[in-house]
Amino acid sequence: MFNFFYNSNLFIWIEKIINFINSIFFVLLISALSFALIFSPPDYLQGDSVRIMYVHVPAAWIGLASFSCIGILSILNFIFKIKNLTIITKSIAPLGLMFTCLAIVTGSIWGQPTWGTFWAWDARITSMVILAFFYFIYIAIHKLISDEDKAIKFSSIIAALGLINIPIIKFSVEWWSTLHQPASIKITGTSTIHSSMLMPLLLMFSVLILYCALIFLMKYKTEIIRIKKKNLKRL
Amino acid sequence: MIENIILMNGYGIFVWPSFLITLLACGLFYYRTRKTLKKYEKEFAQEIKELSLEKRKTVLENSKIATRILSSYKKTF
Repeated sequence: MFNFFYNSNLFIWIEKIINFINSIFFVLLISALSFALIFSPPDYLQGDSVRIMYVHVPAAWIGLASFSCIGILSILNFIFKIKNLTIITKSIAPLGLMFTCLAIVTGSIWGQPTWGTFWAWDARITSMVILAFFYFIYIAIHKLISDEDKAIKFSSIIAALGLINIPIIKFSVEWWSTLHQPASIKITGTSTIHSSMLMPLLLMFSVLILYCALIFLMKYKTEIIRIKKKNLKRL
Repeated sequence: MIENIILMNGYGIFVWPSFLITLLACGLFYYRTRKTLKKYEKEFAQEIKELSLEKRKTVLENSKIATRILSSYKKTF
């Protein structure tokens, strides 16, 4: 079973998955955008500004999930020294940074009609900015440090430290009094969001997840080619 | 109806930029990632071509990945 995880076997699957995602992506994107912008109802309090949720919330979820993955995989890599995990974390990091920045920017735009300001240094927003910094440092370490072992060591430390920030972001709205509303969607417990809004939200989230998978696979493939190129030079 | 979709009761000025920024960022990121991938594939294929016949044969026989990269590069170009 573990043979599947060898790069050569994975590489064949990567191309197939990339082609599959490319073939269904635009149909899903158009339907998700139609639901988010046209068919979903406006909120009784926030009106049509609630539609920003359909990009803001998935972006924030992806930003958080990506760093959680990076953190956990970096710790595993630090202990077990599996080279493939470094390739995976390096491929996830730019995606996570982009979605974290998108969550901050779209959240800021949403803040103006809802709170009357584009920016407030409240706990949730500040901890998201800190997350973006962790991503930035993580990527910068891999770009600037040429010694790969050193880069892995430092970036693993940063990822482990950044992991502490994840529960802070999640529970910031409960621990401190903030402008940000508490979570409407709960994995355990009853969600307070109506199904007419939940459906477009999950659809948009699925589309962005597919996009992430596509970019991740392309980046992963690039990293493998880069390693193969290095090996060629040694011949 | 179209006017309603564009204006969104005055919230269009906030909603549309949010979606446009997201789509633009995703589009640009996709374009850059794809460009880098194609660049690496091209460079790799060129480096394989520059190898001596014997070395090239050894590389292609020993590495499934090298063979796949070359075939996907040939499909694109």
